Amino acid sequence: MSERDTEPTSERDAVLRTENLRKKFGGLTAADDVTVEVERGTITGMIGPNGAGKSTFFNLVSGFYQPDGGTVVVNDTETTVMEPHEVTEHGLVRTFQTPRKLEGMTVREAMLIGPQNQLGESVVPLFTQPAAVGDEERANLERAEELLGRFEIDHLADQPATDISGGQLKLVELARAMLAEPDLLLLDEPVAGVNPTLANKLADIIEELNDDGITFLIIEHDMGFIMDLADPIVVLNQGAVLMEGTPAEVRSDDRVVEAYLGSGGGA
Amino acid sequence: MPEDTRSAFEGGEDTSQERIESATNVVLAVAALGLLAGALFGLISPRYLVFLVSLAGMYALLSLGLNVQWGYAGLINFSVAAFFGLGAYVPVLLSASGSPITDALPPIAGLFVAVVVTVLLALAIGIPTLSLREDYLAIASLGLAEVVRLVVRNQENWTGGTGGLGGIPLFFEGVPVLGTLARDIGTVDVGFYTLGFQFWNSLLNAALVGAFVLGSYLVLRRMHRSPWGRVLRTIRSDEDLAEALGKNTYAFRMQAFVLGSVVAMLAGVYYAYSNYYLTPDIFDPIYTFYAWIAVILGGSGSNRGALFGGVVIVTIVEGTRSLGIGASWRLFAVGLLIVLVMRFRPQGVLPPRDELIWPSARGGEADE
Repeated sequence: MSERDTEPTSERDAVLRTENLRKKFGGLTAADDVTVEVERGTITGMIGPNGAGKSTFFNLVSGFYQPDGGTVVVNDTETTVMEPHEVTEHGLVRTFQTPRKLEGMTVREAMLIGPQNQLGESVVPLFTQPAAVGDEERANLERAEELLGRFEIDHLADQPATDISGGQLKLVELARAMLAEPDLLLLDEPVAGVNPTLANKLADIIEELNDDGITFLIIEHDMGFIMDLADPIVVLNQGAVLMEGTPAEVRSDDRVVEAYLGSGGGA
Repeated sequence: MPEDTRSAFEGGEDTSQERIESATNVVLAVAALGLLAGALFGLISPRYLVFLVSLAGMYALLSLGLNVQWGYAGLINFSVAAFFGLGAYVPVLLSASGSPITDALPPIAGLFVAVVVTVLLALAIGIPTLSLREDYLAIASLGLAEVVRLVVRNQENWTGGTGGLGGIPLFFEGVPVLGTLARDIGTVDVGFYTLGFQFWNSLLNAALVGAFVLGSYLVLRRMHRSPWGRVLRTIRSDEDLAEALGKNTYAFRMQAFVLGSVVAMLAGVYYAYSNYYLTPDIFDPIYTFYAWIAVILGGSGSNRGALFGGVVIVTIVEGTRSLGIGASWRLFAVGLLIVLVMRFRPQGVLPPRDELIWPSARGGEADE
């Protein structure tokens, strides 16, 4: 964490740790020496005004962007220069702000992309071990059905994945990400465009999964949602960490208010 | 797991799909019966009939190969003709008496060399381009296909150049029984016709292309209805999502590109050994576009559609030829067909369905 860090970094069990992460796009500094730790077992929130560098941070730690400097450590393994799929193998799974719908698949089929290292994803076993591929597929189907049931979206299983609503898609995304068995799940605006009832349901599910041992890092603009759900909360502004604290600390910090409303308004 | 895990695309999602499939089957059956009747009543020579069926198989191979690349993985590949040409040239350059390189190898050995060369060329194109966005692959593959065509046309000391290659042996030359079968059968009188060596040899070539099509179809169908096929379909819709879920999209795209190229290459093997002479015309980009038309028409991602597309291409190419319609009108017909399909049936005639879960895991079905 930045200069306001209250604990020495080495003593925390961090599932994700970044140090001095930097990324520039031309003249724009999108990540400016970002040092953040996500402690295992927490639901950590990440907020900041538009353009603060939240999505850039997600892209950097998940391997979609290569940083210009700094390091990323996931589960004690440095993943700084890894490809996204390699980062995922180390336990970090992410979702996207605006997920694209998978064409030509049912929700059930779309769910089955989640499990990692499936035997049937390699060509040779399809011909040499068809029974083993079938057994694994059945087991994955059962887990998928179970998750769809848990998220109360099992009635969508046979629907074309292109026909479900945006909110339902968020639930499917979360359920699918669980099939990848992540240690840390990065959610990028999980309730953007989602009605309040579904948002509450999503919050309950996230808390349940957190109780099961999944760590969350969540970007969200809905302040009510994130302040109720997350602790601690990291605030980014202009590519840099502005502060980290409990929801109450964040709410009462003048710099956060200023970052959101602009210094001109309050001065 | 529920009893019935069939997809919505399979069942009663739209009866219009079922009607179109039934209509397609009827049209194909009527066309097949018509051709058979034509042969029985002396209107179409049996050899031409066999040639038509073989040609449909050849175009089906081109479209099956492209379907793996475009239909499964979303790769825009404009180098189908290059691999088609390789399939013809590599075995012929190693087996034909007119080859400037050697005629020492039997054609079947040449086929295996062609597989290796195809894999190497596909890797050579794929390595620099598949990590880029799909439009770069489109441009690079088109450029590379032209490079291959121009090299074959101009490197006379390697390829025979524009003069082409003669002295092409029978494909089964040197193979026990099959190598001499066409001669051994001799002439047989059937109805209006006397069937001789040419007919039996055409039949053997038809069996060859039939085996290629059947083998490719069965292999590709199994691969598509698997976790492997599912990942490719995901990459086609959203590559970032596939990466975020731990899939090495570059490796999957490469596999699809190489596999599709090998299938397209097989079409070239048939082409070479069903002709007495081979010229660089086989590298003409029109074959690439025929393959694209077949895939789009049949339904991107559908193996059945790719087979159907192959049949339609032969119908257009040979049908217009039989009716004495010129090449420019043929291209016009093809273009018109594409416009009509895109306007009224953008998903193709036989779009993919229920092919993304391993069959034995689907509620006890075993319909691989």
